[in-house]
Amino acid sequence: MNWADFWYLPNFSKGALQMKRNHNSSKKINSEAKTAWLFMAPGLILLCLFVFWPIIYSVPLAFTNYSVIAETEFVGLDNFVKAFHDVDFIASLKNSLLYVIVVPFIQFFSILMAILVNRKMKGIRFFRSAYYIPVVTSMVAVSIIWGWLLSQNGVINYLLMYVGIIDKKISWLSNYNTALWVLMFITMWKGLGYYMMIYLAGLQAIPLDLVEAARIDGANRWQVIRKITIPLLKPYVFFCSLISLMGAIRVFDEVFVLTSGGPGNATLTSSLYIYQQGFQKFNFGYSSALGLIVSVFIVVLSVIVFFFNRKGGVNPY
Amino acid sequence: MKKSMNIVKKLFLYFWLIVFAIFMMGPFLWLLSVSLMPGKNVFSFPPAIFPSFIDFKNYIDVWKYMDFFKYIWNTVVISVLGVVLSIFFSCLTAYPLAVFKFKGRNAIFLVLVSTMIIPAAAGLVVNYLTIKALGVMDTYLAVILPSAVSVFNIFLMRQAFIGVPLEIRDSGRIDGASEFRIWYQLMMPMVKPAIAVIGLLEFMAMWNNFLWPIIVLNDTNKYPLASALSFLNGQFSYNFGWIAAGTMISVIPIIVVFLFTQKYYMEGISGAVKG
Repeated sequence: MNWADFWYLPNFSKGALQMKRNHNSSKKINSEAKTAWLFMAPGLILLCLFVFWPIIYSVPLAFTNYSVIAETEFVGLDNFVKAFHDVDFIASLKNSLLYVIVVPFIQFFSILMAILVNRKMKGIRFFRSAYYIPVVTSMVAVSIIWGWLLSQNGVINYLLMYVGIIDKKISWLSNYNTALWVLMFITMWKGLGYYMMIYLAGLQAIPLDLVEAARIDGANRWQVIRKITIPLLKPYVFFCSLISLMGAIRVFDEVFVLTSGGPGNATLTSSLYIYQQGFQKFNFGYSSALGLIVSVFIVVLSVIVFFFNRKGGVNPY
Repeated sequence: MKKSMNIVKKLFLYFWLIVFAIFMMGPFLWLLSVSLMPGKNVFSFPPAIFPSFIDFKNYIDVWKYMDFFKYIWNTVVISVLGVVLSIFFSCLTAYPLAVFKFKGRNAIFLVLVSTMIIPAAAGLVVNYLTIKALGVMDTYLAVILPSAVSVFNIFLMRQAFIGVPLEIRDSGRIDGASEFRIWYQLMMPMVKPAIAVIGLLEFMAMWNNFLWPIIVLNDTNKYPLASALSFLNGQFSYNFGWIAAGTMISVIPIIVVFLFTQKYYMEGISGAVKG
């Protein structure tokens, strides 16, 4: 399987297979290379400035005590030593890792929703749009709403007590044990519509005659889902898991607006801590070092994920 | 017998469709009802879920205080410029990566894609320093530039360009069109659905971006809506009615844009397959 197969626009990818290796003269290839670079130049220049330069420049920066207050000095490995003794940083790494738990839940519910809206019924377009609304709204707005709903005297407590699930008011976001889980819930709630649309595209790409043939052979609905839908959806699951995994590890907005890492460091994520060190404490050098450590961490994690997928038969590139 | 089964099944499906709709839309509807009831406490217990009266006082007051036209205008300028630049640069960069044959093509693509896993927060400090060095601090350009081209969009557009039959490019060549004209007049129309997708995704990202504008804009008069909203939330955390109304004002335009463009967007996402 290649990228084209697991990407969500299957009809766009057919051309890839049609591509023929024609043997052009080297002269023509040379001029084509020149044009190619001309085409890419504006985009690549911007990428160099705002994507590659931050990665490159944060390396020397990480070995200094660069801040707005004091004179900049080379401090060697001090920042890295400090980082691994920094209780808050360790906690933030732990929280970011814990946040990954949200990934399978997102896949489960968005596939469920995709199956639910993948049919011809009156008003189905309305429901598809309705499920997508949280995706288009800003995290600031979403955080304000959920912040109120989830407060001590909020609607959620009222509903849960009314139904009898809890018997005491809980202040979900300022409780050390619940805050992180509630944030994960909000992340999931906001993302469901997005992944639902991708899974819906995947479901609609499944040939109907395949399902019908299975039905004629006496397969029931559950068997169709298990034996046909899920295997054919696999590339989409891989793609969505990857995107939501990256989102979970990088999570920032909802934490920043709702809890700023609190109570204590219960919801401090690595992205938030990097930001706090950089733009609230102005320890640019230390912040860069933290960014580097987290980046290396994520790269290692992705290599492991890719390795496992290679074994599973999916070639992501 | 079969017909009554169908009705039961339909009722069952609609029941779950509505349950999920309440789950996804409920919070917004509740906010709407809060914003329309000035003087009502959000935290009254039992809470007022449905509006018992309707009054637009919150909207009028918060509009007087905040001059939303200014913030909406800022947001529109930033979002539209950002989307246009992003579509232009992404398509320009993705095209040769999809159809040209040259040395290093796959290497470039691999390097680009691998940057997608680096956390954005890690680059904030250096990007801030770059923007400062470029001398565009406190301008719209400072907000737009870092996201004027994104690897994700290049990745998407490359997939789309790969799907365009090679014959189209060849036919343009036979007619003697320049590569740029082939790209602009022949290839771009072929990838319209994908452009709609990245256009809308980018528009949403720009419209909802609040952190980067706060970092690079010192003048709060230049803030986009989302930044202004987080500012308002910090300033008047006790005035629920105002914040609810302000949040509704900031949310409605993007929902309207989505509802008007959703046809193209959803078509783009699900390709040519009809639902």
